[in-house]
Amino acid sequence: MIENYSLKDLKIGEQAVVTGFSTEDIPAKFYEMGFIPGTSLLVKNKAPFGGPICISIISNKSVLALRRNEADKILITKK
Amino acid sequence: MNHYKIALIGNPNVGKTSLFNKLTNLRQKVGNYPGVTVEKREGKIERNGNKFQITDFPGTYTIYPSSLDEEIVFKTLGDKTNSHYPNLAVVIGEPSNLKRSILLYQQVRDLDVPAIFVINMKDEIKSKGLNIDLKKLEDFLQTKIYLTNARTSEGIDELVEAFTKDATPYNRHYEIPKEYLSIVEKIKNEFNLKSDYLAWQYLSQKEVPFESKENLSKLDTIKKENSIVSKRLQVKEALDRNKILEEKLNDIISYNFDGNETLTDKIDKTLIHPVFGYIIFLGILLLIFQAVYAWSAPLMTMVEDLFGWIDEKAISLIPEGPINEIIGGAIIPGIEGIAVFVPQIAILFLFISIMEETGYMSRVVYLMDRWLKPFGLSGKSVVPLISGVACAVPAIMSARNIENDKERLLTILVTPFMTCSARLPIYIVLIALVIPDEHIFGLSYQALALFVMYILGVLGALGSAILLDLIIKAKHKSYLILEMPTYKLPDWKNVGINVWEKTLGFLVDAGKIIFAISIILWVLGTFGPGEQFRNAEEIVTAHHPKMNEEDLANEIASYKLEHSYLGRLGSVIEPVVEPLGYDWKMGIGLISSFAAREVFVGTMSTVYSLGEVDVEDNGQKDRLLHRMKNEINQNTGEPAYNLATGVSLLLFYAFAMQCMSTIAIVKRETNSWKWTLIQTGFMTGLAYVVAFIAYHFLK
Repeated sequence: MIENYSLKDLKIGEQAVVTGFSTEDIPAKFYEMGFIPGTSLLVKNKAPFGGPICISIISNKSVLALRRNEADKILITKK
Repeated sequence: MNHYKIALIGNPNVGKTSLFNKLTNLRQKVGNYPGVTVEKREGKIERNGNKFQITDFPGTYTIYPSSLDEEIVFKTLGDKTNSHYPNLAVVIGEPSNLKRSILLYQQVRDLDVPAIFVINMKDEIKSKGLNIDLKKLEDFLQTKIYLTNARTSEGIDELVEAFTKDATPYNRHYEIPKEYLSIVEKIKNEFNLKSDYLAWQYLSQKEVPFESKENLSKLDTIKKENSIVSKRLQVKEALDRNKILEEKLNDIISYNFDGNETLTDKIDKTLIHPVFGYIIFLGILLLIFQAVYAWSAPLMTMVEDLFGWIDEKAISLIPEGPINEIIGGAIIPGIEGIAVFVPQIAILFLFISIMEETGYMSRVVYLMDRWLKPFGLSGKSVVPLISGVACAVPAIMSARNIENDKERLLTILVTPFMTCSARLPIYIVLIALVIPDEHIFGLSYQALALFVMYILGVLGALGSAILLDLIIKAKHKSYLILEMPTYKLPDWKNVGINVWEKTLGFLVDAGKIIFAISIILWVLGTFGPGEQFRNAEEIVTAHHPKMNEEDLANEIASYKLEHSYLGRLGSVIEPVVEPLGYDWKMGIGLISSFAAREVFVGTMSTVYSLGEVDVEDNGQKDRLLHRMKNEINQNTGEPAYNLATGVSLLLFYAFAMQCMSTIAIVKRETNSWKWTLIQTGFMTGLAYVVAFIAYHFLK
């Protein structure tokens, strides 16, 4: 059951685990901010008309926001 | 007495600045780091017979900078010869994001910087659901850990005592990946470095700011030969470190949540709601505008009264003569012209500071990113653009936390289009002159006109952003990742310090320029070449033998001005401004307001020989308006201020770059004359074209 969704595909309230990235061209800051393979997260909010996505890291409830372009490059499996 | 340099290092939103304020007890000053424009906050305290020089470094997630301000951290900590290299680094974390702070702590220690670890906001350990085995964490971090609460001063004394203790010995934590060991060894020998990790930094950092040019080109060659891509090394380090931390911290730190929604989650349901979020943001903007324009009025009157009093005293105390005239007639009114904006600017910064302190600002960035991206800007451009409504100078400085070069440059270039408070007095005078005082559906035309001017500012900013977006090439891909901190009540001490510093900075920076310009204008307006200037009194008296004394004096002043150096200058540029419908008097106003817009009203009152005019004072304003209304343009024979010239002037002021302080700050922030000149040229050119079209369309 290897379904490779990207973070962009998640709906509000859905949980997922980061599995990797679809490109190497990801700013180092994403890793530093906690988008590390194995991280569980939850989609908290999506800004309207294709705006940024707001996610919550499950382990410590910290909240991050990123653009959909970048969310598209983060691969996840749904929980 | 021993002298210690202490560096405060930490992620954003950990309460670092609150801690700094508590430690230094407000005995602090803001300056710049040598050679760069990054703001340096430093405080000196004496405790137990020792002197401490405490520096609050810009918040950063790692020692790899992703924005301009963050660069200073590696620049200082990587270089033992740096004048700010600390005796002790205090790395600060907070309960909800300990792992990230520990990562930063380990990087600092791996650089061989002596450091201790602080968990601030200790009161939140429980509410954040953090279980922590302090003893084990201390063993793991190889240091004693200090718990503080900067808001209540808990743990501050213990922390200060730790400043004089030697940091515990430390075994380097990060293991250089095997495949890089040989090249790290080579770097160590080549650049004479003691530490493996510092050598690794030479490879993984995009820039090593403290190395000589010669060495840097050598480094570049080595990196190329071994096909080292700095970013990959950074990613590798981040992944490696996180992996180890995940394992090691597993039985040291854990979070348990009761499953209930946190307060922040609940508030966010409304504040970043796709509909209500925007409505609330709009409401807050309106509140800010209301505050900046309505609430500041009594304060502005107070400033004016104060300066009026000082001016009167100065004139009566200083013996008559040129010094009296220059101080009472030029310098004091010049400084008043700028001090009068202090209430508005302070109120605006109060709101911005509260929005930042509470955590709401990141929500605004989140909401607005989608709407600013098509213009080549980022959600983070919101802060400079809003601040630009008060004053472009601090607004442009606040663009520093935009990571992407291009988005930052664009933001800096378009922010001066926003209607700053210096444009307001000009708009008030001109609108009163040319827009009829009538109402439509209960709305006054004049108020509507003022509103339109503000909209024009926004359109000017966004429109030019689109244009510049096509021209400027991006060096890096644009991305946005931001932390949305938990909501907090503002730390009022931080808010107060922030407002004070920003306002004072504005007053001093802009004050210096206004000071100089007032003197130059005064000299140019007071002296003149030729007979007509020297014999002004006789000539005017001969022309108006029946005039009463006061009118005669005004007439003489006006005649003198026309033939002064300033008047000549006005005549020289008349051909340039004539196509816009202006005469030489308006030309003088334009020239003088190239220094700063707020000079316009003052110059106009000198040109129309009314002495000092206070636009807030209705009687005085009416006199100025009356004179301006009856003024005939000598070129066209029509009223100098009719709808066509008035609108033309309004548009000119809306778009032209007429502020030396802004030009200076843009040069400083972009570090490029090219962009500074392009911006000044573009804005003024646009202003000219638009004013020209408007004049000929309405004529």
